[in-house]
Amino acid sequence: MDAIAAAFELVATWQVLAAVLSAALFGLLVGAIPGLTATMAIALLVPITFFMDPVPAVGTMVTCAAMAIFAGDIPGTLLRIPGTPASAAYAEEAYALTRKGQAELALGANLLFSAIGGLFGTAVLIFAAPTLAEIALKFSSFEYFWMALLGLTCAAFLSVASPINGVISLCIGLFVATIGLNNPAGVPRFTFGSTEMLAGIDFIPAMIGLFAVSEVLRNIAAGAPRWEIVQERVGNVFRHWGGLIVTYWRQQLRGNILGTIIGALPGAGADIAAWVSYAISRRFSRTPEKFGTGHIEGIVESTSANNSSLSSAWIPALVFGIPGDTITAIVIGVLYVKGLNPGPTLFLFNPQNIYAVFLIFVLANLVLIPLGWVAIKLAKRLLQVPRAVLMPIILAFCIVGAFASTNSMYGVIVMLAFGVLGFFMEENEIPLAPCILGIVIGPILEKNFVTSMIKSGGSFFSFFERPIAAGLGILVILVWASLLVGWARAWRRRP
Amino acid sequence: MRFSDRMLGGVLIAFALAVGIYSQTFPDIPGQQYGAAAFPTAIAVALGGCGLILFARGLLGPREPLITLTEWTRVPGALLAALVTILAVVAYILLARPVGFVPVMAAILAVLLVLLRVPWWQTAIFAVGTTLVIDFVFRSVLLVPLPLGIMPRLPW
Repeated sequence: MDAIAAAFELVATWQVLAAVLSAALFGLLVGAIPGLTATMAIALLVPITFFMDPVPAVGTMVTCAAMAIFAGDIPGTLLRIPGTPASAAYAEEAYALTRKGQAELALGANLLFSAIGGLFGTAVLIFAAPTLAEIALKFSSFEYFWMALLGLTCAAFLSVASPINGVISLCIGLFVATIGLNNPAGVPRFTFGSTEMLAGIDFIPAMIGLFAVSEVLRNIAAGAPRWEIVQERVGNVFRHWGGLIVTYWRQQLRGNILGTIIGALPGAGADIAAWVSYAISRRFSRTPEKFGTGHIEGIVESTSANNSSLSSAWIPALVFGIPGDTITAIVIGVLYVKGLNPGPTLFLFNPQNIYAVFLIFVLANLVLIPLGWVAIKLAKRLLQVPRAVLMPIILAFCIVGAFASTNSMYGVIVMLAFGVLGFFMEENEIPLAPCILGIVIGPILEKNFVTSMIKSGGSFFSFFERPIAAGLGILVILVWASLLVGWARAWRRRP
Repeated sequence: MRFSDRMLGGVLIAFALAVGIYSQTFPDIPGQQYGAAAFPTAIAVALGGCGLILFARGLLGPREPLITLTEWTRVPGALLAALVTILAVVAYILLARPVGFVPVMAAILAVLLVLLRVPWWQTAIFAVGTTLVIDFVFRSVLLVPLPLGIMPRLPW
C-alpha cells in the first residue's frame, strides 16, 4: 500500500501533470496530421524526455502514444488519409461513413472505444501483467510463425474487391520487406550496392508514400476540386454512445481482448491488432456484406483493439524488457537511460515507479475524451480549407515527415517511390492495406520460419508438435480452407 | 492508367521471374536447407501464380486494350499535373541540400498552388507561411536537421 501512496505522490505534482497535458496536445496534433505517426511522435519526444525525471518522462510517452493513436482516426475518417498506421485498417470504412454524412458516428465511436480500449488494456496490464507475459514468453518461433501467417491471411480477407489483387498487394509488401540486410542469413538482398538500402525500406516514409502521397497525386491530377460529399460539419459525437455500447458490446469486448493479447505479444502492436480485429469482425459479422460501405461494426472492434493493444504492449516491455511494439521499443531505451532497467527487478525494487506509470495510463485514457473532443471540433476546419491549398501543404508535411524519419533524403526518395507505386496500385484496384501489412509482418514471418526450420532440421511436421502452435496452425488452415470453399462456390455459381 | 489483365499478368510474371532468378544468387546458410533465397523465392512463386491467373483470365475474357485511361486521366492536363507533382518532389530531393529547405520548399509550394489555380496573393501567403511554420516547428522545436544550403538559419 505504501508503494501505491508513493505512486500517487509521484504523479500528483504539477510537473508531471503539465508534462502529461502538453504531451497529450502534442500527440493529438501529430496524430491528426496525416503522415506523422504515433511512433514518430514518440521518437521526436525522446530528446525532450532526457531533461525530465523518470516518471514524467515515461508519462509523456504513454499519453502521447494514446492521443496519437486516437487522433490518427480523425484524418482517416474525414480525409481517408490514416494519421497513423493503426488507423489504416478502417480508414476506408470510416471515410465511407463520412461520405454518407455520418462522420460524428465514426469519430464518436473512435473516441469512446479508444478510451475504453485503453482502460481495458491498462486493467489487464495492472492485474495480469506477470501471468500474461509468462504465457507469451513460452511462445517459440513456431507459434510466432503461425501468428504472422494468420495476420497475413487476414490481410487477404481485408481486400474487398478481389482476393487475387489482395494477394498481389501482399506479395509486393512481402517483397519490400525482404530488401536489405535484416534477414536470418544476414545477406544483403536487392540492395544493388546502395548503403542506405542495407537497412531496408523504412516503414514510415513507405506508409506516407502509399497512403498520403498517392492521394495527393490523385487530387492534384483531378485539379483538386473541393472535398466531395464529405460532411460539412461533424455533429454531436456523444449522441450515439449509448446505442453503440448496447449494440456492439460484443464487438467491443472481442476487440479489447484480442487487442490486449496481440499487444502483449512481443513484436506485434496496435496496427496488427487493428487489422486482425477488423478482419475478424467482418468474418463473424451477421452482415459482412455491409463492410466497406460505411458500417460502424468493424470500426468499433478495431478501434477497441488498437488502443487496448497500446497499453498491453507494455506488459512484455515492463516485465521482461521485450518491446511489444515500436513505441515500447523506444521507451525501453529511455528507461535504461533513466536507470530504470525494465525487468522483474523493477517490480521488486521500484514498485512505486511502476504504479505511477499505471496511474498515468489511467489518467491518459481519461483525458483522451475531453481533449479528443476538442481535437475533433478543431479538425472540422480541415474541411473548410480548400483542397487546392491543402494538398500542396500536405505534400510539404509528407516530405518533411519522411525526411524526419530517417534524417536524410533517402526517406523522401522512398516516400516518392511508394507514392507513385500506391497511385498505380489504386488505379488498378489493387488494395494498399495488405501491402503495408506485408511490409510489417514479412520480417517476423521469415525470421520465425527460418529459425523453426533450423531447429527442426527441415521438418514441416514440427510446426504442429507444440500444442499452441498446432492450434494456431489449424486455425490458419481452417481460414484458408473456408476461403477456398468460398471461391469454389462462387466459381460454380457463375453463369 | 489502368493495365488490362493480360498486361498486368505479364508484368507480374516478368517481375516474379526476375526476383526468383536473382534470389538464387543469394548464398545459403552453411548446412541448412533454407537460407536467404527461400523467402524471396516463395514470394516470386506466389506473385508469378497471381500473374498467371490474371494472364489466363485476360486470354479467356473479352479482348481489352493493354492500357486504358481511367475516367479522370482523360481530363485534359490531369497526367501533366501528376507529373509536375512528382517532378516537384524530385526537385526537392535534388535541390534541398545545395540550395536549402526554405527557398526550395517555398518554390515547390508556389508551383503547385499556381498549378491548382489558387489566386496569386493566396499562393504567396500559403507558400511562404507554410514553409516558415514547418521550418520553425521541425528545425527549432523538433530538432530535425532540415538542409540549410545557401540560406542563413532563420532567427528562431
